[in-house]
Amino acid sequence: MPEETPATGLTRRELLLTGAAGVAIATIVSPASASDDAVELIERLTGKTPTESDRLHLAMPRTFPNGYTVPLTLEIDSPMTESDHVRHVRVLAPRNPLIEVATFHFVPQRSQPRVSTRIRLAEPQYVLAVAEMNDGTLLMTKTWVEVATNGCA
Amino acid sequence: MFTPMPRIQMPSTAMKGEVFQVKALIGHQMETGLRHDSEGNVIPRKIITKFVCRYNDVDVFVVDLREAVAANPYFEFYLRATESGRLEFIWEEDGGGVYSLAHQLMVA
Repeated sequence: MPEETPATGLTRRELLLTGAAGVAIATIVSPASASDDAVELIERLTGKTPTESDRLHLAMPRTFPNGYTVPLTLEIDSPMTESDHVRHVRVLAPRNPLIEVATFHFVPQRSQPRVSTRIRLAEPQYVLAVAEMNDGTLLMTKTWVEVATNGCA
Repeated sequence: MFTPMPRIQMPSTAMKGEVFQVKALIGHQMETGLRHDSEGNVIPRKIITKFVCRYNDVDVFVVDLREAVAANPYFEFYLRATESGRLEFIWEEDGGGVYSLAHQLMVA
């Protein structure tokens, strides 16, 4: 039952209704506009502007036969000290019916900012990773994944 | 009825300060709530919503899961061996179900 539906459980439909920028996200996913769209989407979800960073590594296959179990490995370059660490990383699939995939929380001195899992993708799209650092700044990266079948049906 | 089966793979010993790998898997359909049965009724959402790894009662790795995590959620992650003790792994499901496992780690 959806009584525990989280406040951030945004659907693509809701995003579309929130304005023209949302329309751009859903209609133009080309390499040229993808970064701008990703930034807008993250601003909408978090109220903060992310910076694209090569400290985040989101490794996924460029093409994958089915959308049901697409492998994902996430790694962030961080010393994980009290004064410099990653609090959490959110993974988003903007062209899934529900765009939030998972959030990974790390602890300084205790866990490495590195995780592998398997996710569902409804269609070919940019998958986004957004890291919140201990000073509150957001870093992001994205990777294009082409799936042949819908993993959300 | 299907009972989710959690599994953990991790070392039983480690050197102090060493980083070790943990593999966590739970057999679970991760029903999204987006599908319909043959009569057109929505199949209710039933997913694992949270995974917690606790090391001597301290949360050291936590995942918030949504519908787009694949069935049979699997995580591979890395922890630092700080002291000997107990690692507890907890999966929380929609509707209040909780599944857990514990492992001992000896740190030399």
